[in-house]
Amino acid sequence: MKTDVLIIGGGPAGLSAAIETASRGLDVTIVDEASQLGGQLNQQTQTLRPLPSVYEPMRGFELAYKLIEQIKGLSVKPLLNHRVVGFYADGSAGITDEENVFPVKAKKIIVASGAAEKAVAFPKWTMPGIMTIGAAQTLINRDFVMAGREAVIVGSSDFAMETAMQLMAVGTRVKAIIEKQSEVSAIDQEKVSELSRNGIPFYFNSFIKEVRGNGQVEQIDIELPDEVITLNVDLVCMDGGRMPILDVFYQLGCSFGFQEELGGWVPQYSNTFQTDREDVFIAGNAAGISTQGPLLLTGMIAGISVSEELQAIRSAEANEMRETLWKELGLLEYKEVYSGRVKHLENFTSPILKDQFIS
Amino acid sequence: MHIEKHPVLGRQLLKPVTIYFNDQPYQAYSQQSVAAALMANGIKKLGVSRKLVQSRGLFCSRGRCCSCYMTIDGEDHVRSCMTVVKDGMRIYPNMEDPEVRREIDED
Repeated sequence: MKTDVLIIGGGPAGLSAAIETASRGLDVTIVDEASQLGGQLNQQTQTLRPLPSVYEPMRGFELAYKLIEQIKGLSVKPLLNHRVVGFYADGSAGITDEENVFPVKAKKIIVASGAAEKAVAFPKWTMPGIMTIGAAQTLINRDFVMAGREAVIVGSSDFAMETAMQLMAVGTRVKAIIEKQSEVSAIDQEKVSELSRNGIPFYFNSFIKEVRGNGQVEQIDIELPDEVITLNVDLVCMDGGRMPILDVFYQLGCSFGFQEELGGWVPQYSNTFQTDREDVFIAGNAAGISTQGPLLLTGMIAGISVSEELQAIRSAEANEMRETLWKELGLLEYKEVYSGRVKHLENFTSPILKDQFIS
Repeated sequence: MHIEKHPVLGRQLLKPVTIYFNDQPYQAYSQQSVAAALMANGIKKLGVSRKLVQSRGLFCSRGRCCSCYMTIDGEDHVRSCMTVVKDGMRIYPNMEDPEVRREIDED
């Protein structure tokens, strides 16, 4: 199979890259291992803001719908329930439908593989009933299944606060939010005060000491600064933060740089979102963990850069559009993340150490 | 427990299907993953770990952690969080590593 642009990952970044490329007449193939496009947007019922100026604030699943609408009628072929498993010597991607593997030869590849949630380890953390906040959100909003009746949440990011509220809305009793630091890590204080108003205790400088249960979690011990308390719960949601998914970049032999603000090891890329391989571009959380608005912008920039490389758009026009989108990125993205991104770009384009790259 | 009426999305569970876990029938709905459908029926233990034989269940629901491996319609080590239920599906817990060198009786 041949295609102009192969996009790996059909989430918000991959879809916005698809819109930019396919709307300029390029032939696009999107591969995603899920059974529907939209990625994690599909279970996000919260209103996303700020989004790029072309979108008004809307709920996650509505945004997924809006993005998918825009590729209809264009030359975009989604390969759902498919995975990239490797690359052939000629640069073709090896894609499997779980039965056969076939090569897809693309002129350019955009990798928008997204992010993975990190675990928080404590004794017996692998017991059923203990899951990531993302898993709990998927259960309630995509599968329409109660994740549990009585829950605690370990960690206090914006994502954790949002999930706590969504769990309460479907009838789960959130008994505590446990944070090892001395304050919440969420930036949006509104949700934190709403949870407090609902009487949910925040335990700071605290952690789970032990979990007990017969085949599934039934009881936990929480170590507070000056005592240990026991709670009966059947759900523990852990919020360990997220990191870019890098498998495909390893296979492609891309170079990496470490950037704490972007989520750890991140493939290196320039301001066109081109990696150190000239045929490989990057977008979305894979290029640094961020929020939905900025993720869309990275996909748009990558899409425009690929369109330019394939002569679907003039360089002058591409430069102008990129400049505008980078400005918007600077406005929408959390300052810390944006400055990490700028540092990451600088480390790539003007390296201080020549041998700093690993691959 | 199934969420019959979602606070934002309303009634979404419209097409019931029957799945079999350890040969017992359970009700699920067409869009649910196998792991989610079992959890709705109170089944959280989907298998055991290979070395210490500890209980394992749904952990990431993204197909990355492989904590939810199950045997589905005769195939071992299938990620139950990434597999959508089908009517009549036969599901067994993952109790050990699959026998990869067994004879396959097809074709």
